[in-house]
Amino acid sequence: MPHTIAVIAREVWDTRDLTGQILDEAGGLRPGALQTRFDPEDLNALELALRIKDAHGARVVAVGLGAPRQVEVLRECLYRGADAAVTATGDLAAADTAAHARRLAGAVRSLGRVDLLLVGTAVPDDDNSLLARHLAAELGWPAVSWVDAIEELAVDRVVARRAVEMGYEYVETPLPAVLAVGVALLEDDPRAPRPAKAMLKLKMKKAEIPTVPATDEPAPLTLRVRREAVPPRAIETATVDPENEAALRAMLDAALKGA
Amino acid sequence: MPRVFVVAELNDGVLNDLSLQCIGAARAMAGADGTVVVLLPGTGAAAAAAPLNAPGVAEVLVADDDRLAAYTTEPYLAVVKAALAGRPAEAILLPATTIGNDLGAALAAALGAACVTDADGVGAEEGRPAAWRVGFDRKVRTVWVAAEGRPLVATLRDGAAEAPAGSGTAAVEALSLDGAVSQTPCRVVRRDVAKKTVNLRDAKVIVAAGAGVGGPEGLELIRRLATALGAELGGTRAVVDAGWMSADRQIGQTGATVRPDLYIACGISGAIQHRVGMLDSRTVIAINTDPNAPIFRSAHYRIVGDLKVVIPKLLKLLGA
Ligand SMILES: Cc1cc2nc3c(=O)[nH]c(=O)nc-3n(C[C@H](O)[C@H](O)[C@H](O)COP(=O)(O)OP(=O)(O)OC[C@H]3O[C@@H](n4cnc5c(N)ncnc54)[C@H](O)[C@@H]3O)c2cc1C
Ligand SMILES: Nc1ncnc2c1ncn2[C@@H]1O[C@H](COP(=O)(O)O)[C@@H](O)[C@H]1O
Repeated sequence: MPHTIAVIAREVWDTRDLTGQILDEAGGLRPGALQTRFDPEDLNALELALRIKDAHGARVVAVGLGAPRQVEVLRECLYRGADAAVTATGDLAAADTAAHARRLAGAVRSLGRVDLLLVGTAVPDDDNSLLARHLAAELGWPAVSWVDAIEELAVDRVVARRAVEMGYEYVETPLPAVLAVGVALLEDDPRAPRPAKAMLKLKMKKAEIPTVPATDEPAPLTLRVRREAVPPRAIETATVDPENEAALRAMLDAALKGA
Repeated sequence: MPRVFVVAELNDGVLNDLSLQCIGAARAMAGADGTVVVLLPGTGAAAAAAPLNAPGVAEVLVADDDRLAAYTTEPYLAVVKAALAGRPAEAILLPATTIGNDLGAALAAALGAACVTDADGVGAEEGRPAAWRVGFDRKVRTVWVAAEGRPLVATLRDGAAEAPAGSGTAAVEALSLDGAVSQTPCRVVRRDVAKKTVNLRDAKVIVAAGAGVGGPEGLELIRRLATALGAELGGTRAVVDAGWMSADRQIGQTGATVRPDLYIACGISGAIQHRVGMLDSRTVIAINTDPNAPIFRSAHYRIVGDLKVVIPKLLKLLGA
C-alpha cells in the first residue's frame, strides 16, 4: 500500500526586504505593513512529498491551521498536486508552537494512518521554530530535523539526509516519523518547488477542505510580551565609481587604515 | 533567577564555543544569588570540558558515553533530563545550532517548558525568565516570557552574550548515566561532515563571495583579492551550497557572525540571513551589478559594477 504523507502548510509573514514602519504606537503590527506568503520551507516539504508521490506513488494531504489570511496555502497545495487538505481550527497569532502542535497533531490523527509528516524546520520571525519537535512529542513519533533529501524509503523506515553545519548526516528512522525540512532543499533546482498546474486548479477549485476542531484549548507556555521597533542603523554610504581609479584608491586607503 | 542550566555542545570532540557565550548569558541571568550548572554530553566530553569551568559556574557535569558519539535526539534528551532531575532549573540555555535547536525544542516539548529558539538575548521580565529575538528584517525585537510556573528553554545565537574570561572553581564531575541512555528509534547510518579549519570570527579583513562570482573561476579572483589583503575568505550560503566553498566559511544566520575591520562583499545580494552575520563589520565595501541590491544598505562603500572588472582594478591598485 502506498504511503500516506501529511504536509504542514503555513501562511507566514513575508519579511524579506521590508521598508517603512512595521509597528504601530502600541507595538502591534500595522495593518497592511506586511504581506504573507506560503512558508518557503513548508513549500519545500510539499515538494519533497510530491516527489515521493511521483517516484513511488503516495497519498499527499496538506494540513493547515486557521482561516487563510492573504494566501490560500492549502488550495496552493492542491493545485500543485496534493490529493486532499484539512484545516485545524485555531489562530496562528493567538498561541505558541506547543499549542499549534496540539491542534495540528489532532488534524493529522483525523487522517487515519499516516506514514510521514513533513513540515518546514524554522519560521524565524515571529514563531519559535521546530514545530516538528512539538508535533513529534504530541504524536509520540521520532523526528529528524533539517532534512533536505530522502536517501531511501521503505514500507516501514526512511533514511533522510540531514544538513548540519559542516556537512550531512544520513539518519534512519522507523515510520511513522516527522521529518522537518530545511531551506536548502531543491533551491538550486530551477524547476522546484513546482508551480501550480492549470488543470489541477480547475479540478480542485471547489474541493472541500474539512475543518478539524480542536479537542481542547491548551494554554500557551510561551507568552509574547511585546514587540519593539529596532532603530535602523544609520550608515553613510558613499558611491564609488569603478571607472575612477583615484576614487578606488582613496576608498582602499580609508578602508585599510587600522585594518 | 536562581537556577540556570546550560547544555554545552561538542562537535566531534571539539567544544562548540557558543557554549561559552551561553555560560556568559546564564551568569547574567542567574545574578549574584543564583547558580549556573553546565552539562556537556558527547563522546570525549571529559577531555573537552575544562573551558566550561568558568567563573560563576557552580557545577560542570560531563556525560561521556560511546552511545552519544553522533547526535540523535532521544539519547541526548534522556541525558539532559537525567541531569535536570536532581537540579531543577528556571531557565535552560543551549547554542542555536542544528543540535541545540533540535534538542532545545525536544526538551521544551518533554518538560512542558516555554521555548524561544534563535534568541538574541535572555533576561527577566517581572521576575520570570524571558528571551528576545530580532526579526522582521531586523526591524522588530520580540520579547517572550515563560508562562507562570514554567521553565524557559532558549537557544542563543552567536553574539547573544559575551563568553566569560578566566577559569572558575567548580569540579568537573561525571554524570551517572545508569539507564538514562536508552534505546533510540533513530540511527545515524553515515556522516559526511568536514572538520572546521577556519575561524572567521577572529579575522581582521574578510573578502566574501556570493553567487555573483558565477563559479569556481570567478571565485579565484576573490581568492586573489583575499591573498593581496591578507584576508580570510568567506561566503554566502549560496556559494557553500553550490559546493564552491567549505561550510566553515559561511557567514550569516546559519554560519558565522563576524565583526572584522573590513568586509568586502563581492556578488552578494544581501539577504537578511546573510547580513545578520556581517552587520557589525567596521567598514563594508560591496560590489554588485544590481544598483538596488540590499547589501548596499549595509555598505559604507557602494560599487555598482561587475566584480570581474572591478576586482582586477583593485588588485592592480594593491600591486598584486
Ligand atoms: C533559515 C535560513 C537561513 C539562512 N542562512 C544563511 C546564512 O547563514 N548565510 C547566507 O549567506 N545565507 C543564508 N540563507 C540564504 C539567504 O537567504 C540567501 O539565499 C543567500 O544569502 C543568497 O546568497 P548570494 O547573495 O550569494 O546569492 P544571490 O542572492 O543569488 O545574489 C547574487 C548577487 O550577485 C550579483 N551579481 C551577479 N553577477 C555579478 C557580477 N558579475 N558582479 C557583481 N555582482 C554580481 C547579483 O546582482 C546578486 O545581487 C539562509 C536562508 C534561510 C531561509
Ligand atoms: N505568522 C503569521 N503569518 C500570517 N499572519 C499572521 C501570522 N501571525 C499572525 N498573523 C495575523 O496577523 C494579524 C495580527 O497579528 P498580531 O499582531 O500578532 O496579533 C492577525 O490577524 C493574525 O491572525
